[in-house]
Amino acid sequence: MHRAVGRQLGISTAVIRFDSRHNEKEGVHRLAANTPRGYSSRPPYCSQPGCGNQGQGQGERFRVPSVGERALMPAKNLLEEAGDMVILTGKTLVSALRPPYPYGGEFVSQFLFALKLCWFPLLISTVAFGYGAPGLQASNFLVLFGAIDRLGGFFVLASIREFAPTVTAIVLAGVAGTAITADLGARKIREELDALQVLGVDPIKNLVVPRFLALMLVTGLFDVYALIFGISGGIIATLVNGAPLGPFWATFFTNASTVDLWGSVVKCTLFGAIIAIVCCYKGMTASGGAEGVGRAVNQAVVIAFLGIFAFNYVFTQTLLATHPEIQVIR
Amino acid sequence: MSAINTKGNSWLESTGVLLRFCGRIMGEVYSLKVFKYFGESLRQAGILILSSTIVIWSLIFIIGLQCGIEGAYFNRSVGSPAYAGVFAAWCDLRELVPYSFGYMMSAKVGTGIVAELGSMRISDEIDALEVMGVPSMTFLCSTKLLAAWMVLPFVYLSGVGAGFLASYLAVVQQIGEVSSGGYQLIFWMFQNPPDLLYSVIKGMCMATAIVLVGCYYGYNASGGPVGVGTATAKSMVLNIVLVHVIGMLGTQLFWGANPRAPIGG
Repeated sequence: MHRAVGRQLGISTAVIRFDSRHNEKEGVHRLAANTPRGYSSRPPYCSQPGCGNQGQGQGERFRVPSVGERALMPAKNLLEEAGDMVILTGKTLVSALRPPYPYGGEFVSQFLFALKLCWFPLLISTVAFGYGAPGLQASNFLVLFGAIDRLGGFFVLASIREFAPTVTAIVLAGVAGTAITADLGARKIREELDALQVLGVDPIKNLVVPRFLALMLVTGLFDVYALIFGISGGIIATLVNGAPLGPFWATFFTNASTVDLWGSVVKCTLFGAIIAIVCCYKGMTASGGAEGVGRAVNQAVVIAFLGIFAFNYVFTQTLLATHPEIQVIR
Repeated sequence: MSAINTKGNSWLESTGVLLRFCGRIMGEVYSLKVFKYFGESLRQAGILILSSTIVIWSLIFIIGLQCGIEGAYFNRSVGSPAYAGVFAAWCDLRELVPYSFGYMMSAKVGTGIVAELGSMRISDEIDALEVMGVPSMTFLCSTKLLAAWMVLPFVYLSGVGAGFLASYLAVVQQIGEVSSGGYQLIFWMFQNPPDLLYSVIKGMCMATAIVLVGCYYGYNASGGPVGVGTATAKSMVLNIVLVHVIGMLGTQLFWGANPRAPIGG
């Protein structure tokens, strides 16, 4: 971003750079791969890891990397990106707390944006998931034992503990996260972020912090929404089996505990933080013209999904191991 | 054709346009027109293998671990830790491997296709193909669908293996309340080859839908660099909804009326 000032030369240079779709980093890569310029030169399903990176200095613009460098480049890029994301998280937290708070309006608009974009996909997804995976499969199993009333108890485990937070996170990452990356990536490509910095506006405080807070809040709230509709899926499964709903609710509320509920909401809020950081980082480091934004979205959503599920595993394991009382079936 | 770009188009109309587009691509594969560009298909298949399999497997692996610990803790709570294999077998094979495959396919492959085709559309490369007399839809979209159909069943099957391994590790090695043999006995008893076939069908339906949606949004992208990003984000919305709906319909169709469990008479 230090190169911002040098780039403020007007629209003409931007157009030239866009047309040739050629930046410093791509130059290095293409030279390394020794492939001709054209649509067939790029791996379509993905791209080189870390191609949205900003780590390249001006001096090494057209240097051919050595064999060792090329072999270790993916690992190095991966580590660099992970480190960059952690740094971004730290900066975001610090600038969210440090006094001037100019991000109120942006926060509200991002919150409403995510709300408006996600409610319908989330509704369909949670009802479908709740009816299909835990609803039908578990009720099939329980009907064999004549214990369909236990489906309510099972939904505490399935819905509250597991799939409401994960499906919420998947939908939020896929819908709101991609939109954030596309938005910030477009601003980066059009050099609006650089222009903001030149004007003395801190992009982290004014763009990342409101998105971070809004996404955390919205994922936490959507978790409750996903719970309601996930349990509706369970209700549909009960009704399909011709069983009364009373026993479903009875076993559900005897087994539900507050630990499960706060665990679910806290987990989901942290998913929101992961999504926001990954998507903002990828958007703000997008490069390479039209393709660059699409590629940034692609990488953002892949990293967000892996991060969500890895974190989910650790969190669930910790919660289950430290709170043995929630495992007792009542 | 640019239904996603013009405001005011009705929801129904854009669905129709999408379906017609998908029908045309699938028709070109079924009518074997695509074999004119079989080399391109092979190239796409290679790219798919090299760039996407590892991420798909790793997501399925993580979710297999998840199934394993949930199953182990649930079965401990009902007092039958030896039966964790039931939970793991059904959770892995029937539900979560198809879902996680669908998630990663839409994240990695679906958005990748949109980004690639979208940027080709923006930089007029698709028009250039048409001018050169290459049928761009066959060359770009149908070849990708053929490549997906050639490669993904194998990726999926090995992904199922990754999920099984992860569940085994979580239940037997990590939680450790059931012996390896006891776990394996129950685990394999609660699944059979038709279950695996149904699971593969579920996964392949998701994969087909994702590739087609990706091609549609990429092929019809417009609006400069911003348009590519927006199209990528929009494709993800549709993909996620489709993955969940296909998962639900598959469960209803394959296991809805028959639990396929070795219990009872």
